[in-house]
Amino acid sequence: MKLLACIPLLLLCGLTSAGAAANDTITVAMNADIRSTQPGVNRDGNTDGVMMHIVEGLVGYREDGSVGPMLAQSYEVSDDGRTYTFHLRQGVRFHNGETMTAEHVVWSWNRWMDPDTQWRCVSDFDGSSDLQVTEVTAVDDHTVTMTLASPSALFLANMARPDCGAVAVIHPDSLDENGAWREPVGTGPYKLEQWNHNRSIILTRFADYTSREEPMDGYVGGKEPRIGTVRILVIPDPATVVAGLQAGNIDVAPISATDARALRNASGIKIDTADNGLRNGLLIQTNAPPLDDPRVRRAVALAIDTEQVALGSSEGMATPSNSNVPISSAWYGEVQRTGYEYDPQAARELLAEAGYNNEPIEIIANQRPKVPSYDVAIIAQSMMQAAGINARVNTMEWATQLDRYSSGRYQMMSFTYSARFDPALMFEQITGDKTQEPRKVWDDPRAQELIQALSLTEDTGQRQALVDELHTLMIEQTPLIFLFPGVSIAAYRDRVEGFAPWFGESPRLWNVSITQ
Amino acid sequence: MFLHLVRRIGSSIPTLILVSVLIFLLIRLVPGDPAQLLLGDLATEQSLARVRQQMGLDLSYPQQYLIWISQVLQGDFGHSIQTGQAIAPMIIQRFGVTLSIVLVAIVIASLIAIPIGMIAAWKQNSRLDVGLVTLATLLLSIPSFWMGLLLLLLFGLQLGWLPVVGYVSLREDFHTGLLYLIMPIITLVLVESGTLVRMMRSSTLEVLRLDYISHARAKGVGEAMVLARHAFPNAFGPTLTLMGIMLGNLLSGIAVVETVFTLPGLGRLLVDGIYARDYPVVQGCMLFIASLYIVVNIGIDAIHPLFDPRVKDA
Repeated sequence: MKLLACIPLLLLCGLTSAGAAANDTITVAMNADIRSTQPGVNRDGNTDGVMMHIVEGLVGYREDGSVGPMLAQSYEVSDDGRTYTFHLRQGVRFHNGETMTAEHVVWSWNRWMDPDTQWRCVSDFDGSSDLQVTEVTAVDDHTVTMTLASPSALFLANMARPDCGAVAVIHPDSLDENGAWREPVGTGPYKLEQWNHNRSIILTRFADYTSREEPMDGYVGGKEPRIGTVRILVIPDPATVVAGLQAGNIDVAPISATDARALRNASGIKIDTADNGLRNGLLIQTNAPPLDDPRVRRAVALAIDTEQVALGSSEGMATPSNSNVPISSAWYGEVQRTGYEYDPQAARELLAEAGYNNEPIEIIANQRPKVPSYDVAIIAQSMMQAAGINARVNTMEWATQLDRYSSGRYQMMSFTYSARFDPALMFEQITGDKTQEPRKVWDDPRAQELIQALSLTEDTGQRQALVDELHTLMIEQTPLIFLFPGVSIAAYRDRVEGFAPWFGESPRLWNVSITQ
Repeated sequence: MFLHLVRRIGSSIPTLILVSVLIFLLIRLVPGDPAQLLLGDLATEQSLARVRQQMGLDLSYPQQYLIWISQVLQGDFGHSIQTGQAIAPMIIQRFGVTLSIVLVAIVIASLIAIPIGMIAAWKQNSRLDVGLVTLATLLLSIPSFWMGLLLLLLFGLQLGWLPVVGYVSLREDFHTGLLYLIMPIITLVLVESGTLVRMMRSSTLEVLRLDYISHARAKGVGEAMVLARHAFPNAFGPTLTLMGIMLGNLLSGIAVVETVFTLPGLGRLLVDGIYARDYPVVQGCMLFIASLYIVVNIGIDAIHPLFDPRVKDA
């Protein structure tokens, strides 16, 4: 048994090779592999997060969810609100060394809008929804105009969406001679070096990256690739991630609240948190008794102590809020701070008034490690029971729960909404006609009117007034109960400098460096 | 013998057809839909319809099955819904990882467990026997993920001898690759040898009671010879069958061990496929695993007569 004989020897080699990471390499843990290298086509949250290192669009999201210029130096909107003129930054290079021009912007746009590309956001720009881009023209080398069929306040917000790949400006070299996708040749601070399916993604520094001058802000602003090699390892098991952090094999990892508590006192590891754009809450099916009665729904809301749920299901790291607009958003203000007052006595009275007769109410939850669904449901269950509501939790696998969500077959559901940066998009997620779209939770004509107005209004003050009215109406009707925004929790080794979790869930590795 | 093998392989074809139909239906009967999982809470009716059409899920079940099975017969297992990769090469690559760990682990485990089992039986009811049986029972009761985590904490974290995360294939870098395989192999060896020790001990006990052993001893044959020459061949049969089952089980994926040690093996491919409702991947993996069981069983049956000539007559 030759191999047996080598083991002691190998153990000795292990002494020197394990744990010693290169000085110019950062190792980041990710819970699942990316789906493809084509931004906005076959993607999920992880894919978007990696792609935003490699490609950039004309605009992008800032830290507070507002839109800022990225590859555009600046932009202006015509008086009729239909024509957007983008002035491109000069001297921006693609990863293959070529300089970006307006032609590339137009070429990329046409490539994305081609139905054969199967870009997920085609229907957001081709008039299937309210927004239609009728013309995209390169006026000169550094100017691009985009014309809309009718004005829309959501145009830039859609252009900046990470799930659309921020409408990436890419070089034609991204495709092979048959026009099929090869790899992203973009303008981002890091280049894609290698993708080992289900193992790792290797990014390398793009040495010719020219940064914007403003400070780093969300997905825009100044970006500097300070690290030679970014190694993103696919590690599905959270316990392995924790061990890897402690052993020094991993430098940066998004972790759960429970693991954060375990690592709090570990030496050499820092932990930071930031409220992100996810929203955790309890959805209510409003078209079946007993929850079709607004008094019963309000009673549920009053029976739940938002603060206790938020803190209890996040190891005290989340910020309680009944708002659909996340706390770190620019649209979160005084009005959004108002919510439900915890009052089990009032809940009991409302229930009696509504004639609630101890009918069972099922709360569906799942146990994915990424979301607090199960903890929220369990805490809510006991609070509801304490107020005389016959609540019981039913745990399901995620695919099954998602199926119930999409078909509307549930009474209550502990659910986490994915991030939206613009308030019109946030409310659009939850609002709609249940007969057309059974997944929609809030079926109210007034709310739909307000959202429609919100997507047409450009003026910030007027938009805020609409967002405030939507919040008040939502609290009043209680079609669902938001409890707290998601928390990005990141653990990183103390040799990592400049890293910070933020509103977006995915780690950003530009402007991050490694000290010796 | 040859004819026997051909007959065995021929009789496995109906099994495979039945398996393919069952897998195809079962994965579709599970609630949840790959298009929905792909789009998440962003899904609209139009986008769902579009993605389902791209995936070929808008066709009827018989149509989908016929398309799939005709592709499989041409050696094409289709493409993953999640990543678009071709499935056949993916299964082979992932199976390679699992195979390298499982084979080494089974060989080491049997080299350790078989002598120990025989010694325990030989010294039945002694302190040594009790000690060995206790240890074996302890090992087979520890779940593999727990054992894996303990090793990870000890060798990876406390002692820092072995890397905790990542994987390098043996083909890329043999030396480094081996480092990543040590802990998964030790985990499997520890967990599996418990079962083997118990099995070997009980079958040796049965054999040692038989008249021909007393006869051999009466002839004056030494104890070592009695065990090795007379007891072992007869006692090994049941353990060999068990090893066959074990091999089939382990080769079809050691998903838990693969997850703990971040190994891109067959088990993780299947489990990830199930969670994502990646129908083609699940179907491909399951068909491969079913064939694997058949091959392993035929193989074990073929070598069985070497140890127990009585089997040949049956």
